[in-house]
Amino acid sequence: MNSPPDTDKVLDIRNLQVSFSSIAGTTRAVNGVSLNVRSGEIVGLVGESGCGKSVTIRSIVGLVPSPPALFEDGEIWLRTRRGMTETLSLYKNMKALRQIRGRDVSMIFQEPMRSVHPMMTIGQQITEGILEHEVVDPAEAYDRTVEMLDLVGLPSPPAQMNRYAHELSGGMRQRALIALALVCHPQLLLADEPTTALDVTIQAQILELIRDLRERMSMSVLLITHNMGVVANLADRISVMYLGRIMETGTVEEIFKEPAHPYTQGLLASMPSLFSQPKTHLQSLRGVVPELAMAPKGCVFADRCPHVMPICDETPPVVELRADHSAACWLYDDVEASQGPDAATAQPSHGGDSTLGDASQRVEVIPLTKTEPAADAAQKKLADSDTDQLQIENVALHYPILRGLLRRQVGTVRAVDGVDLSIRRGETLGLVGESGCGKTSVGRLVTRLVEPSAGRIRFGADGRLEEITHIPQKEMKGVRRSMGMVFQDPLSSLNARMNIRNIVGEPLMLHGMARGSAVDERVGELLEMVGLRAAHQSRFPHAFSGGQRQRIAIARALATEPSFLVADEPVSALDVSVQAQILNLLLTLQQQLNLSMLFIAHDIAVVRHVSDRIAVMYLGKIVELGNAREICVRPVHPYTEALLASIPLPMPGLATLQEMPKGDLPDPANPPTGCRFHTRCPYSQPICEQEEPRLVPFADAVDHFGACHFQDELHLQGVEEIGEIHGSAAAAGGEE
Amino acid sequence: MRTYILQRFIQMIIVMIVVMLVSFIIVELPPGDFLTTLSEQLTEQNVDPKVIDSTVEMYRARYGLGENWFIRFGKWAWSLMKGDMGYSMQHNRPASELMGERLSLTIWISIATLVFMFVVAVPIGMLSAIKQYSAWDHSFTFLALLGVSVPSFITALVFLLLSVTLLGATTVAGLFSPEYVTAEWSWAKFVDMLKHVWIILFIVGLGDTASTIRVMRARMLDTLGEPYIDTARMKGLSGAKIYFRHALRVAINPIISSIGLRFPQIISGSTIVAIVLTLPLIGPLLLDALLGEDVYLACSILVVLTLALVIGNFLADLALAWLDPRIRFES
Ligand code: SF4
Ligand code: SF4
Repeated sequence: MNSPPDTDKVLDIRNLQVSFSSIAGTTRAVNGVSLNVRSGEIVGLVGESGCGKSVTIRSIVGLVPSPPALFEDGEIWLRTRRGMTETLSLYKNMKALRQIRGRDVSMIFQEPMRSVHPMMTIGQQITEGILEHEVVDPAEAYDRTVEMLDLVGLPSPPAQMNRYAHELSGGMRQRALIALALVCHPQLLLADEPTTALDVTIQAQILELIRDLRERMSMSVLLITHNMGVVANLADRISVMYLGRIMETGTVEEIFKEPAHPYTQGLLASMPSLFSQPKTHLQSLRGVVPELAMAPKGCVFADRCPHVMPICDETPPVVELRADHSAACWLYDDVEASQGPDAATAQPSHGGDSTLGDASQRVEVIPLTKTEPAADAAQKKLADSDTDQLQIENVALHYPILRGLLRRQVGTVRAVDGVDLSIRRGETLGLVGESGCGKTSVGRLVTRLVEPSAGRIRFGADGRLEEITHIPQKEMKGVRRSMGMVFQDPLSSLNARMNIRNIVGEPLMLHGMARGSAVDERVGELLEMVGLRAAHQSRFPHAFSGGQRQRIAIARALATEPSFLVADEPVSALDVSVQAQILNLLLTLQQQLNLSMLFIAHDIAVVRHVSDRIAVMYLGKIVELGNAREICVRPVHPYTEALLASIPLPMPGLATLQEMPKGDLPDPANPPTGCRFHTRCPYSQPICEQEEPRLVPFADAVDHFGACHFQDELHLQGVEEIGEIHGSAAAAGGEE
Repeated sequence: MRTYILQRFIQMIIVMIVVMLVSFIIVELPPGDFLTTLSEQLTEQNVDPKVIDSTVEMYRARYGLGENWFIRFGKWAWSLMKGDMGYSMQHNRPASELMGERLSLTIWISIATLVFMFVVAVPIGMLSAIKQYSAWDHSFTFLALLGVSVPSFITALVFLLLSVTLLGATTVAGLFSPEYVTAEWSWAKFVDMLKHVWIILFIVGLGDTASTIRVMRARMLDTLGEPYIDTARMKGLSGAKIYFRHALRVAINPIISSIGLRFPQIISGSTIVAIVLTLPLIGPLLLDALLGEDVYLACSILVVLTLALVIGNFLADLALAWLDPRIRFES
C-alpha cells in the first residue's frame, strides 16, 4: 500500500480519512475516499453540500487547517517535478509543500468575486506566483503574465495588468484566477465549484475555457461541483460522493446512462431537465442529507435509499461492475460473487431506461392528496379561465445613481424598462434571466414592494382587474391578502426570533383573519399542507433544514389563501435532492388551490418544468415570451438560444451551440443602444446597434413573441423534445 | 482620486465653518457686553483710564463690536486665523499666551500616543490572530480586556501610588523634572521630557491600544479566512509573505480609518490623566475655562482642537486612499 502508484496517475488518493473534532464530538467528514486522476484527464467529484468533497480536494494541498482536522488514515500521492510525492506526509514540512503549490498543482475557487486580492493589481498577483517558484527577472515574469492573460481570453492583457479586482466582473476574475493558477504550468488543476457563483452564460464560457486549456497545457483537472450538468459537460470520469464516502465511480457515459448506485439514480431523477415532462412531479429522494454525526451506520445512504435491506447495516463493499465502473452498494455484491462483473447489466434495477420507468418504486414521491397533475389538464384549464389575474403594462423601475458630495444624479439604472406581461388565472408564468436582468424587480413591482417609475399594474383578487399601481399602502395591504410571496433564501426571509406558529400565523393576525387558538389550528393545517408536522409550531426556524424552511416560507405565503403567488428563486439555494421536493410541492399546491404564479429563476430548465408560459428577460426588457415548451424547442430570440445552450445538461456528448454569446453582461446602468443584446449576439447586424427591436408576435404564432429584428429569418437551435433526445443520446453513447 | 481628495477637503472646510459658527454663537451668548466687562475689570485693577479706553477701542475695532453679526463673525474668524485667540477674562491675558506651549505639547503627545498605539497594538493583534488560541493569544486577549476595562485615570492613580511608595519619588509626576519645568526649551529639556513622556503615553494610550489589539486581531482573523488568502497560499507563498503582503494591508484598513476618531478620545483621555498627574496639557485649561465661563478662551481651544482633529481625519483619509484602490476609484 505504501508504494507510489504507476506513473500514469497524476493524483492517487487512497483511503483518505479526515475527522474534525469539536466540543460536540468527532465527526468523520471524509471516510475512506479513494480516487485517482490520470494524465490529461478531467475527473469530476460530485455531491451535495456537506458531503466532504471540499475537504477531500483541499487535503491534497494542505489547505485544511489542522487542528481542528485530524488526518487519521490514507495517502495522497501526487506527481510532482520530483517524482511521485506523498503530500499528507509533507504537512510537517511546509517548505516542501509550498514548492508543490502553484507549481505542480494549482487550485481555483468557488467565489471568484472574493478570491482575487482587493488591493493588489492583477499583474502583481500573478507575477508574484512566478517569482516565487522560478528564478526569472521581473521583465520576463511580466511578459509571461501578459501571455497567460491572453491565453485565458481576457481582452487587452497589458491593460489588465494594472487593474484591480473591483474593476473586473465575476467571469473576468475567474479567468484571471485561472491564469494565476496555471502560470507555472502545473500538471494538475483542482477546481472547487469554479462556476457556481457565475451566471449561466458566463459559466458556459468558463467551462469551455477549462476544457480548452486542458488540451493546450496538457494538464489534468479534478473538478468538484454539486451540478450534475457541469460534470456531464466537462468530465471524463466521475465519482459521486455522499456523506464522506464515494458511492459510485465510472466514466461519464456510464454514470449518466447506467447509474448503478441508488443515490446516483435518485440525483439524476430529481433534476428537472429540458427533456422532462413539464408540470409533472420529479422523482425526488426522500428526506434530507442528515447531519454527519447522524449518518446511518453501515451504508450512509440507508435512511434515504429505496432499496434498503437488512444487510445495509454493514458497510457495503465497493463492487467493480466493469473496468472503470464501481459502486459501493450491497445490491451488486452477489453479482460479483456469482456472475462476475460483466453480468452487472443484467441486474434489473440498474440500467438506462428503467431510471425513468420504474422509478416510482425506487424513489419516493411525496404523498399527495391529489394525483399527478397532467400537462393536458393544465392546458385545458387555461382555455376555460382565460381571464387575466395580473396585467402589467409598460412598467418601469428606474433607480438614480447618486454621486459626489451633493449626491448629484449622474445616471439611471433601468432595472426594469418597459415591461408588459399578463398572468392568467391558474397559470404559471416563468420569468427567466441572468443576474441584473431585472427579474427580481418585476416580482417586487407586482407586489408593490417597490414603487414603479412608470406604467400600470392591474390585479384582480377574485374577479375584476383593479388598478393597484399607485394605491396607498393601506389599501395595498388588503390586496396583499391575495398575494403570497416566497423568496430565495429561506433563512433570511424568516424571522429567527419568532417560532413557526407566529411566522406562519402572522399574516392571519395581520389581516385579522384569525386569533387565539384559531391561529394554531390554521397554522397546523398549513404546515400539514406543505408536508411538515402540525406539532412543530413551537419550534424556531434554525431547528429546520433549508428545504423545511422553504416549506415554512410557503406555508406562510399561503396563510391568507391568496390566489396569486410570487416565487423568487425559491429553490436555487437548495440541494438538488431537496429542490425536487420543493418544486413538486409548489406544483401540487398550485393544482389544489388553483393558484396563479409568477415563478422567477435563473435556471431555464427549472422554469420550464413548472411554467405554462415563459418570459425571458435581458437587461430590463422582455426579449421573448411564449409557451414554455415552445420556447425551449424553438426559441426565436438569440438570447434564449444562448440561455438554453448554456445550461449544462446531464447528457454527456450532447452537441452544444457552436457560437456562444461572447463577453460579459453589460452594466445595467449603461445598457447598449439599439438591441441590448447586440454586444454579445452572434447574429448581430449593423441595424441592431441603432434600432431597438420591439416585442412582436413571431411569424404567425398567436402566443409567441420575440424582440429580435431577424426573428423571422433566423433558425435558432432549441432543445429537442423528449422522445427524440433519448434516441439520439443513446445513439451517441452507443457509438463509444 | 483627485475628486476624492477635493471632496474630503471641502468636507473639512464645511466642518470647520460649522464649528466656528457654533463657537461664535457661544461667545456671543453671555449677557452683557464683553467690552463693559473688560473695562470694569480693568478699572477694578486701577489701570489708567486712557489705557482702558484705548484697549477697549482696540477690541471694538478688531471684533467689529456693534456691527451686525456676520461682520462680527467674519472679524472674529479672521483674527482667529491670524493666531489671535482672544482674551481670557479669567486669567487676564490673551488666550494665545495661555494656550501656547500647552497646545503644542498636547498635539505632540496625542500623535506620540497614536504612534505608540500603532506600534504596539498592530503587531500584537496580528500575532494573536496568526497564533489563535496559543498562550500568546490568550494572554494578550486577557491583557487587552483588562486594558479596555480599566479607566485611564485609575491607571494614572495606580502609577502615582507606585512611584511614591515604591520608588520614593518626591515630585510626583509631570512632564519634566523639577529643574526643567520653567526652563527654556533646550536639548537637555527635550531629553528630560522623553524620559517622562513614555509613562504618560502608556497611561493615556493603554485603553486605545488595548481596543486596537482586539480590533486588529478580529480583523486579521477575518482576513485570513478570506478566499483570496487561499489563493495566495496556493501560489506557494511563505507565511510571512501571506501575512504581511496580503493580509496586513486589508486588516489594517479600519484601524487607519479610525485614527480620526481616536484623536478626540485621546484628547479627552489625556485631560483626565493630565488633571491627575498635573501635566501642562490643553485639556485642564479647557476645563478651567469652561468652569470659569471664560468664553473666549474656551471657544478658541475648541476651534483649535477641532482643526487638529479635522486635519487628522483628512490625513487618515488620504492614507486610506493611498492604501486601498477601491477608495481611490470610487469617484
Ligand atoms: S447498500 Fe443498501 S442502503 Fe446503501 S445504497 Fe445499496 S441498497 Fe441502498
Ligand atoms: S436584434 Fe440583432 S442583436 Fe438583437 S438579438 Fe436580434 S440579431 Fe441579435
